[in-house]
Amino acid sequence: MTAALNDEQEVDQTLRAVLRDVLGLPEAQVAALDESSPLFGALPEFDSMAVAGLLTELEERLGILIEDHEVDADMLESFGSLLTFARSKSLQ
Amino acid sequence: MTAGGLHYSRYRVGDRDEWMMRIGGGPALLFLPPLFEEMNRTRALLASVMRALAADGFECWLPDLPGTGESERALEDVSWDEWREAAAAAAASASPVCSVGLRGGALLDGGVERRWRFAPATGASLTRDLARAGLMTAGGGGYAPSAALLGPLEAAEPAAGGKVRTLRLATDPAEADLKLEGPPLWRRAEPQTSSELATAMACDISQWLRQ
Repeated sequence: MTAALNDEQEVDQTLRAVLRDVLGLPEAQVAALDESSPLFGALPEFDSMAVAGLLTELEERLGILIEDHEVDADMLESFGSLLTFARSKSLQ
Repeated sequence: MTAGGLHYSRYRVGDRDEWMMRIGGGPALLFLPPLFEEMNRTRALLASVMRALAADGFECWLPDLPGTGESERALEDVSWDEWREAAAAAAASASPVCSVGLRGGALLDGGVERRWRFAPATGASLTRDLARAGLMTAGGGGYAPSAALLGPLEAAEPAAGGKVRTLRLATDPAEADLKLEGPPLWRRAEPQTSSELATAMACDISQWLRQ
């Protein structure tokens, strides 16, 4: 199961890189995010345009397609909820 | 020497004058900025690239499209055809040896034979971003373009033909002639710049044109 673990880590790394790039967060802050870290509504950088950028960058870098109806406050609430969503889309 | 100085001139679109900013002297380059909010977010990056190329002996022109920057028009009243007309009018005014189109700006560079592009975007991806920006709030990130702008934009693709060189960020999986390390500044809520990225862009443009 090593391959699957690596894939999960890859999604984690990609998500952190997208958050760093889109939100302009410092590397240390991005590295310190854990599953309970709040995102949308908690970070001033995470505005509505950033949501659009985040979704598009995730689609491009993970090779996935995100439907509008899948996007809501719950999915964007924390690093953990977003990571769970990204894994479910990319590791099918 | 005008390399450090900014100059403003007018160019005519339909029955109105719009503004163009110019830096430097030499062979002319027509800069076509990203569209909507991405334009504001990349303004500092564009200015850095223009200054570097001005210092390198190029005359850099940056038009304000109707409804943007210092334009007296309201964005809500501007159509896609008018932006195309404006880009063509700016090209006629500046007589560029090459265009420099970023993101959605590359959708407007069809009137120039030699075209350098950075992270060119399709109209469909830009209209999708606008719609998505409205998912979590009311309105498309504060922008309310007309149907006469959004409709044709959605179908717009960067023009084929001519001499084209395309660069993208290393994180972008789409095809490119060269990939550069750097952040997608057009996504950032707080406008930022990257002097490394600006320098790499200016060097590539200069080298390509001097080949």
